Amino acid sequence: MTTTAPTAPTGGAAPTGTPPSTTPRGRGPFRKKDTAGGSSGLLFVLPFLVFFGLFLIWPVAHGLWMSLTDSSLALRDTAFVGFANYAEAFGDPDVWRSLGNTVFFTLITCVPLVLLALAMALLVHSGLAGQWAWRLAFFAPYLLPVTVVTLIWAWLYQPELGFGNQLLAALGMEPVGWLSDESVAMWSIAALTVWWTIGFNFLLYLAALQSLPEALDEAAVLDGAGAWRRLWSITLPQLRHTTVLVAMLQVLASLKVFDQIYILTKGGPNGTTRPILEYVYDVGFTGYRLGYASAVSYVFFALVIVISIAQLRFFRTED
Amino acid sequence: MSSSPPAPRPRPAFTPPPPPTASVSRRGLLRYGMAGAGAALLASGPLTGCASPAASAEPSALSVWDPFQGGDGMLMDDMIKAVSTGRDAFTVDRTILEWGPSYYTKLAMSAAGGRASDVAVLHLSRLAGYAPGGLLDPFDLDLLAEFGCTEADFTPAVWKRTQHQGTVYAIPLDVHPFIVFYDRDAADKAGLLDSSGELAPMGSPEALLDAGKALAKANGGAGILFGHVNDPAQTWRLFAALYAQTGSAFTLPEGGTARIDIDAANRVVTFMQQLFDGKTNPNNLDYYGSVATFIGGRGGMAMLGEWELPTLRKSGIPLGAAPFPQVFDRPAVYTDSHSFVLPHQADPDPARRREAHRYIARMLSQSLTWASAGHIPAYQPVLSRPEYGKLRPQSSYADAGEVAVLDPPNWFAGAASNFQNRMCQPLQAALLGNIPAEKAVRQMVREANTLLQQPNPVA
Amino acid sequence: MSATATAVRPRRRAPRASDGSPMLLGHGRLPRVLAGSALVVLAAVWLLPFVWAVATSFQSEQDVAKPGLFPFKGALTLESYERILSRGNVPTWAFNSFLIAGLVTLITVALSTLAAYGFARGTFRGRRTLLAVTVAAIMVPPQLLVVPLFKQMLLFHLVDTYAAVILPQVVAPMMVFILKRFFEGLPRELEDAARIDGASELRVFLSVVLPLSRPIVASVAIFVFIGAWNNFMWPFIVTNDPDLMTLPVGLATVRDSFGILYAQSMASALLASLPLIVMFLLFQRRIVKSVATTGFGGT
Repeated sequence: MTTTAPTAPTGGAAPTGTPPSTTPRGRGPFRKKDTAGGSSGLLFVLPFLVFFGLFLIWPVAHGLWMSLTDSSLALRDTAFVGFANYAEAFGDPDVWRSLGNTVFFTLITCVPLVLLALAMALLVHSGLAGQWAWRLAFFAPYLLPVTVVTLIWAWLYQPELGFGNQLLAALGMEPVGWLSDESVAMWSIAALTVWWTIGFNFLLYLAALQSLPEALDEAAVLDGAGAWRRLWSITLPQLRHTTVLVAMLQVLASLKVFDQIYILTKGGPNGTTRPILEYVYDVGFTGYRLGYASAVSYVFFALVIVISIAQLRFFRTED
Repeated sequence: MSSSPPAPRPRPAFTPPPPPTASVSRRGLLRYGMAGAGAALLASGPLTGCASPAASAEPSALSVWDPFQGGDGMLMDDMIKAVSTGRDAFTVDRTILEWGPSYYTKLAMSAAGGRASDVAVLHLSRLAGYAPGGLLDPFDLDLLAEFGCTEADFTPAVWKRTQHQGTVYAIPLDVHPFIVFYDRDAADKAGLLDSSGELAPMGSPEALLDAGKALAKANGGAGILFGHVNDPAQTWRLFAALYAQTGSAFTLPEGGTARIDIDAANRVVTFMQQLFDGKTNPNNLDYYGSVATFIGGRGGMAMLGEWELPTLRKSGIPLGAAPFPQVFDRPAVYTDSHSFVLPHQADPDPARRREAHRYIARMLSQSLTWASAGHIPAYQPVLSRPEYGKLRPQSSYADAGEVAVLDPPNWFAGAASNFQNRMCQPLQAALLGNIPAEKAVRQMVREANTLLQQPNPVA
Repeated sequence: MSATATAVRPRRRAPRASDGSPMLLGHGRLPRVLAGSALVVLAAVWLLPFVWAVATSFQSEQDVAKPGLFPFKGALTLESYERILSRGNVPTWAFNSFLIAGLVTLITVALSTLAAYGFARGTFRGRRTLLAVTVAAIMVPPQLLVVPLFKQMLLFHLVDTYAAVILPQVVAPMMVFILKRFFEGLPRELEDAARIDGASELRVFLSVVLPLSRPIVASVAIFVFIGAWNNFMWPFIVTNDPDLMTLPVGLATVRDSFGILYAQSMASALLASLPLIVMFLLFQRRIVKSVATTGFGGT
């Protein structure tokens, strides 16, 4: 995201006849003339800055400090340990394994979450009746709290009576350990995630489609281009920008997966679905080692930043 | 991951629900109603660090935490109901959290936060991860004695695990050993019962192997059932029991490396592989699979925690139970113990603390109810009551508490711990025939050393 | 990126929002049938979990335990709903969810609009730097801060309080950024007119700028509310007392003595999802717009 250049303050005459104010600092239009103290507008920003400093800057800085200590959940003193936590993290097979799981989850969710969302938006936008109903069907899951989603899907995935295995039984097939089979569990979680969160991307695509200029399409119709042809050579190219943004947002969102996995499998079976954020939780809170958990967090943070920058570069050169 | 714990498993879906019982929790709409909470909140300002707005509404309600669902959960309901009536009744606000590592995480986090519940349940094997870190508050033994509960009421084997540096941090409710259940008819046909109709002692590895064959022959199915696939505790329980029977010690000294008798461990794992050979006794069952097979009458004996008693009893098979058979040099049974603890509170109210002590003493006197689920009451006065002697098959394994073996005490060990889970991985591979016994033992030592190398966060 | 295209003239495309583009498919029969069937199949797949959950919730536990693919296996009953509502936990958590999401929204909107206006129109020293830091903070995933934040709450003795759940959620650099871009696009003339009339800067903001910004503020508020309502990780970490938990956290953490009962768990899931679904049905267009404007960071 680029920062918009600050708007140049407009000059002009100071208002005349301003009544004396009781709060001199907060008074007065934000104009050069009145900013002798350099504080014009600062009072507006100040409350936000206080919270920003307390609950964002502080934890970012404090987390960095903690990652250099043996800070513990247990009530005892903390000692500085230098880079020991980082050294341990790089040599910890569970860090790599959970990072691998995270990347795998990101891959298998991002593709359907972008492509299927696009397909849904195109279909809904195609002018069939009952737009609001389709929109509701695809977007409603997004409004559900994660626990509702996991309750419903845990029931669908229930080994004996759940819909999944009942369906397989009706088709004469063997039951599947949706959440207990090591090679299946992550896919089950991915399916649930696609169902749950696709509505957001779908709406973004729908909004983009609805703001496309119609002139091009109309011209193509006059030229006798078929629906399929117009989709590929007119509509999709115009959605490029949207796709870039949706894909970037999605990759970052998928990398941060924790909730649904923690609730459904706690990272099991045998660690095959444990994402890195759950590993942070496990070592930090279950294992009490807050310092080490901070170090793992920062390793992951570095990865997120690298991926974001790589994405920006990639899409920029694409453009 | 399926937790197959000395604690509640989710009630299987095919069991019909219990009749509606009166809710034990006093938490109700009235107390926590929107008006009340909203008013309290506004009065104190929305951003002040006020705790639960309802906390002041009913100061006498004692908050208690436990992980008991299913059969155990309902027995706990009954016990709480029993102490919540009559003279000096308690008002109890019970919270049940999901069993497993998440229970212990929440317990630790609430204690660290200083606003923990008044009383909580903790496995004794986890004490070393809680008491030294200041996450538990010590008991006042004089106060307990005032309510009729003293050291003399517990067996020494269990009592010695309630302490950290000489201070008592836990009061045991039960001892729950890993035992054997058997089909009486099959065992009788196989000639394994003694004159009094109880399982006769084994005494050697060969005897247990032979017993498996005889049971398989007697019932036409499998001999001995043991479910372990993907289970985070079962193979460890079996290993720990058998290893302790060799008389060797397994210790996890702080700052050192795991001390284990490699030869004895190899002998035990090799024996486990012989026992669960995949022919007489299946080697690839998971926990629920072993229970289902036993209930279905397709196995003569099952190695399980006593907490499965209510489930097994419903099956209608002629059920016998015995302490885990001695096959090596000395008797030893792997156990754990549900105990009451006082999670750390930053600013405990002495009156509430007193109530907490009184509550625990009263609950111990209710432990006959608890015993009906299979648990051995830790409180000896209940154990010696004639009513307990009449409980079958509970009384058949009542002695198990005297040869109790718990996890080596260390901050990372104990029930639902990462340690047990890690020990299970190589043992499972060995039982499935994927790696030889020696390799499994080497890997166990390596895993234990990895954990020992981690800086101790509670010391 | 045009900062204000969607925001300033939100109604430009409004009539289209409900009728789609008849052009896209042309007038051929086949594409229509194909697209229609694809849509029906997809929607059916998306609705199926709901149908299955609703059906389960109106059955007795015994009927739920019968095998079979057809979701209605016995007589309909409200038993599960009665049990859940009588236990009292779910109403407590629903109250907490409303309270927490409401306060988070209120405080976030207040802080963010003020700050955005200050950044958009202010000239104070250090404005560029502070703005740059705020924008950079958009990159920080809040989930990565849970460990230090928890430690911070321990330090402030706030673990297991409403304040601990709410306060860290009210810092929303992204929303400041979106609102700032919107404010920058507002014509200054109106503000100046008010100033000439002698209004204080706060007055100008409250009575001129805010009314003009109602749509975007509503979008931001909705977005923040949905986020806070559904937030799981932080409230889960910082609350241990069941009486302080939100719906998602309570449902995921607290159990009852008789294990998992599926009809009841579906009933509680549906009850917990009701508020936002009702909200969506009432304010569908507003919410769709909120996602579209805020989802892209106001572009």
